[in-house]
Amino acid sequence: MKRDQWLAVIVTIGLMFGSAGMAADTIPVGVPLAMTGAYTGSGDDYFKGIKMAIDELNAAGGLLGKQLEIIRYDSKEFAPEVVMQGADYLCGQKKVASVHAGWAGWGQDVRAYGKYEVPFFADDGSQAAVDVYKENPEQYSNIFQLTDVGIEQAKSMFRVLMALPYEYPNKKAVIINTDDSWGVEVGDTLEASFKEKGWQVAKRETVPYGTNEWGAILTRIRRIKPALIHIEIPSAQENITFFRQFIKKPTPSIISLGWGITPREVVENLGTAADGIVGEMPTGLPGPKAPNAAGQAWIDKFVGLYKHQIPAGSWATYTGVMAWANAVKNVGDAYNFKAVNKYLKENGYEGHQGLIKWDADNVLRAQAAAPVVHYQVQGGELMAIYTDPPTKAYQDSTFIVPRWIK
Amino acid sequence: MSWQRMAAIMGVVYGIVAILPLFVGDIRFIMQILIICLIWAVVASCWDVIMGFAGIFSFGQVAFFVIGAYTSGIFAVSWQVPAVLAILMAGLFTAGMGVLVGLPCLKLAGPYVALVTFGVHMTLMPLLRGDIGIALGSGGSVGILTIPPITLFGYAFSSANIIPTFYLTLALAVTCSVVILVVINSYWGTAFLALKDSEEFAVSLGISAFKYKLMVFALTSFLTGVVGAYYGHYIGMLSTRMLELDLFVTLMVMLVVGGIGKFPGAILGAFITVTVNELLAPLGSYRAVTMGALVVILVLLLPNGVMGFWLRRSKAGATST
Amino acid sequence: MSEDTLFLIYELIDVIISGLTNGSVYALMAVGLTLVYGVTKAFNFAYGSFFNLGGYLAWLMIPVVGAVGGYVSIFIAVIPIMFIVGYGLEKSLVAPLRKRPEWEMKVMMMTLGLALFMDNLYAVVFGGRVKSLPPILEGTLDVGDLVFSYQDIMIFFLSIGGILLFGWILNNTRIGMAVQAVAQNPEGAKIVGIPEKRIFAATFAISTAMVGFGGILLSQKYFISPMSGGAIMVKSWVITAFGGMGSIRGGLYAAFIIGMLEAFVGYTLGMSYSMIALFILLLTTLALRPQGLMGRA
Repeated sequence: MKRDQWLAVIVTIGLMFGSAGMAADTIPVGVPLAMTGAYTGSGDDYFKGIKMAIDELNAAGGLLGKQLEIIRYDSKEFAPEVVMQGADYLCGQKKVASVHAGWAGWGQDVRAYGKYEVPFFADDGSQAAVDVYKENPEQYSNIFQLTDVGIEQAKSMFRVLMALPYEYPNKKAVIINTDDSWGVEVGDTLEASFKEKGWQVAKRETVPYGTNEWGAILTRIRRIKPALIHIEIPSAQENITFFRQFIKKPTPSIISLGWGITPREVVENLGTAADGIVGEMPTGLPGPKAPNAAGQAWIDKFVGLYKHQIPAGSWATYTGVMAWANAVKNVGDAYNFKAVNKYLKENGYEGHQGLIKWDADNVLRAQAAAPVVHYQVQGGELMAIYTDPPTKAYQDSTFIVPRWIK
Repeated sequence: MSWQRMAAIMGVVYGIVAILPLFVGDIRFIMQILIICLIWAVVASCWDVIMGFAGIFSFGQVAFFVIGAYTSGIFAVSWQVPAVLAILMAGLFTAGMGVLVGLPCLKLAGPYVALVTFGVHMTLMPLLRGDIGIALGSGGSVGILTIPPITLFGYAFSSANIIPTFYLTLALAVTCSVVILVVINSYWGTAFLALKDSEEFAVSLGISAFKYKLMVFALTSFLTGVVGAYYGHYIGMLSTRMLELDLFVTLMVMLVVGGIGKFPGAILGAFITVTVNELLAPLGSYRAVTMGALVVILVLLLPNGVMGFWLRRSKAGATST
Repeated sequence: MSEDTLFLIYELIDVIISGLTNGSVYALMAVGLTLVYGVTKAFNFAYGSFFNLGGYLAWLMIPVVGAVGGYVSIFIAVIPIMFIVGYGLEKSLVAPLRKRPEWEMKVMMMTLGLALFMDNLYAVVFGGRVKSLPPILEGTLDVGDLVFSYQDIMIFFLSIGGILLFGWILNNTRIGMAVQAVAQNPEGAKIVGIPEKRIFAATFAISTAMVGFGGILLSQKYFISPMSGGAIMVKSWVITAFGGMGSIRGGLYAAFIIGMLEAFVGYTLGMSYSMIALFILLLTTLALRPQGLMGRA
C-alpha cells in the first residue's frame, strides 16, 4: 500500500497548500473576478479601478498603518459552486477584510457572501440580487451593490432618450436584448416605458450571446424604419457587428446601445464611424471632461495608467474600495465587520461628485453623486452628454444628430 | 482489472477521503471542495461507464446533471416536495430523459452520438432561460436561488453544518460507486464490453445492443440526475451558468487524468484534477492554458490515465518480484 | 403591385441572400472538417481554434504587410503558415495516437485539450477584447431598394472560390488524388505505395489551411474574439454531421440548407430559435438517415 500512502500525502498536501497562512502585517482584500472564460474583459475593467484604489491607499501609508494585499479569485463563468467556493476561500480561508467584485453572480453571490459578515461590494445591477437581499436584510447587511438595478438603469435610459434635443420622426422603436437576466430586465422595462409613452415597439427580439449575423433582423428594421433602435447586449462583439452591418444601409434611427457602449472595443474598433451612437454607464464619473478638479485629476491619472478613457465599472469599484477604506478608518478596526457595514450604510462616502449613500436595500441607487452617465460617441470617443437623475444635459455638452439621419 | 482490485482501490481512496475531516474539518473552504469533489467523482464515473465501458461517445453528462438539478429544484421550490423525494423523482426523470436521448443514438456512429448528446447540452440553455423554462419554474436566466437543504429526520444537511453534510455526500458517492462497480462486473458489464469490442459478434451471441445501450443511458443518467439534484440542494441555488463550458471541460479532464474505461480511475481523476486546479489558481488567467496543455500531454504520454500508469507499474512490479 | 407586396419581396430576397452568404461561409468551414474525418477518421475538436488562429495571424500581419497588396498578401502569408502548423501538429500530436487502442476517442480528447489550450492562450496573449480587421471591401451595391454590401459579395465569391480551388486540388494534383485514394480505399492505397502517414498529415494540413482562410475571411466581418472558437466548432460539427461526415458534397449541401434555415428561422421566429430549429433538423435527419444526408453507411 506504499503507493496509496504516497497518493494520500499528495492529496492532503495539495489540499493543505491553499490554507497556507498569510503575513500578519498586511490587511488582505478579496477580489473575485472572472480571469478566464467569457467574462474576462469586464473582469479586467473592474480590476483596474480596484488596483488603482489599493495602490493609492498603500502609497499613502496603507490602512490603519498596514499595507493592503490583494487576493484574487477566478470566478470563471459564475457556476453556483464556483461563486460559493469563492466566498469560502476569500472570507473563510484567507480571512479578507473586504471583498470587491464586479459582476459576481446576479443573486448567487448574495447568498454565498451573505453567510459571512465581510463587507462585499458587487456590480450585479440585477433585481434578482436585490430580491435575495430583501428576504433577510439583517443577514445580508454586508452586501453592497455598487450600481442600480437593470430596471432603474433602463428607466434612466428612457428618460434621457426622451429628453434628447431631437424630434423623433415617428413613434416606432425596436428593442433587441440578450437572453440573460440583465438583457431581459432592461428589455422588459424599456418596452413597458415606450408603450406607456404611446410608442409602438415594432419589434422586440431576445438574442443569445454570440449573435453576429444581423441580416434577418436588419431586413425587418429597414422595413419598419423605426425612430429608435435600442440594443442591450453587455458584450462588445455583438454591438460592433450590429452597427457595422446596420451602417451599410442605415435607417434614420437613433442607435442606443445602453451599457453595451462602454466596453472599450466599441470605440476602439469603430472609431469615428461610431459617432452618434448613444449609451449609458451606471455609477459613472462623466468624462473625458470631469465635472470638477478632483474628478479630472482621477480621470487623468486613470488615462495615464491604462492609456484609455474609463470603461464601465472602474470608477464604481474604485469608489467602493475608497468608501470601505474610509469606513474602516472611522471605525478603527478593519475586522469589526458589523461596525464597518453599519458605518457604510449610515454615512455613505464623500466621493468625487459628492456624498454617495446606499439605500435601504444596500443598493447604490442612481443619484447626483453617483449618476448614470449617458454618453454619445463624438470624434471616436465617448463624450458624456447627460447625467441622470436628475435628468440634465451635462455641462456644455451637445447632442449631435447622427450623420445617418438626414 | 478484477472487481476485488477495483473495490480495494475504491476503498482506499474513499477511506483516505473519509479521514480527511480529522485534519481539515475546521477549514470550511477545503471541506466545501471535498464535497464538490465527491459529486464530480460520481458524475465522472458515470461518464466513464457510458464512454469507457459501453463505448458510447456521450457528451451529455453535464446536461443530465443539470436536468437532475433543475428537476429536483423545481419540485422542491414550486411544489414543496421534500428534498429526498424530489431527488429520487429527479433521478427517475433524468433516467427517462436519458432513454429518450439514447434512442436516436442507438444507430449512430461515434461523432454523431457526441453531437446529438452535446446538442441536448446546447439546447438546454435557451430552453431553461426561455418562456418554456420559466413556465416550468426554472427561474429563467436568474435561476433558482432558494432550494431548501436535504432534511433527514428533522436534521438539515447544509453548508452550515459541513461535516455531517460531508459524510452524507460521502455515503451517496460510495453508494453510487458501488452500484457502478456491481454493474460493470455483472453480466451487464460483460455485455457492454462485448458490444464495444465487436458489436456484430456480440449481437450474434444474442446480446441485444438495443437493450443494453438503453440500459446504460438509463443507469448513468439516473445516477447523474440524483447527484445533480443533490448538488442543487447542497449549494442551495442553480443557474444556467452551470452549462458554460467550464464544468464540461473540467469533467473531461477528470476522465483523461483517471483513465477512460479504467474505473475507478475517474474517482481518482476527480480528486487529482480538482487539487491541481486549486494549486494552479495563483496562475490566474494562465490556469486554463495549463489545464489544456496538461490534457494534451496526458493523452499522449499517459494514455490510460493515472490508473493505467498505476496498473502498468504494479504489473511490472509483480513480474519482477 | 402594392408597396407592401414589393417590400415583402425585397425582404424575402434579403433573407435569401443572407442565407446564401451564411451558407457559403459554412461550406468553407465544413469541408475541411469533413475531409479530415473522411480520410483519417480523426475528429478534430480544435478546428474552431484554428479558425481563430487564421484571424489572429492576419491581425498580426496587417501592420507588417497591410500596405503591400492588402488582403492578397495576407492570404499568401497566412495560409502557408496554417498549412505548416497543421502538418506539424498532425505529425507530433495526432500520429502518435493512431497506433493506440480506441485512438479515435483519444484524438477527440486530445484535440479538446488543444482547443482549451489554444483559446485560453489567445486570451492571455491577445487579451480578452475583440480584435478587428479592416473590411476587405467597403461600400454597397444598391439595386433599387436592395442593398448588397461588397464585403458580403467578396465573402461569398472567395468562399466559393476557395472550395472550387480545394476541389481542383483534390481532383487534379498528385497529393489530392492520393488523399482521395486513401479516403476511398486505405488498403488499396497502401498496396499501390501511397505513403499513408504522409497523406494523413497532408490532409490535416490542407484542412487547417482551409479553416485558416475561412478565419481571415470571416474575422474581417465578425471580428476575432479568443473564446469564439467553440461556437465555430459546433457549427461546423452540426453541418458535417448533417451532411454526412466524410462526404464533401454532403457538407456543401448541408451548409447551404443550414444557412437558409437559420436566415428564415431568424426572420420569422427570432434568432434565439435558430439553435433549437437546427437541432430538430439534425435529429430528424439522423433518425431517418443515421449516416447523414450523403454519408456512407
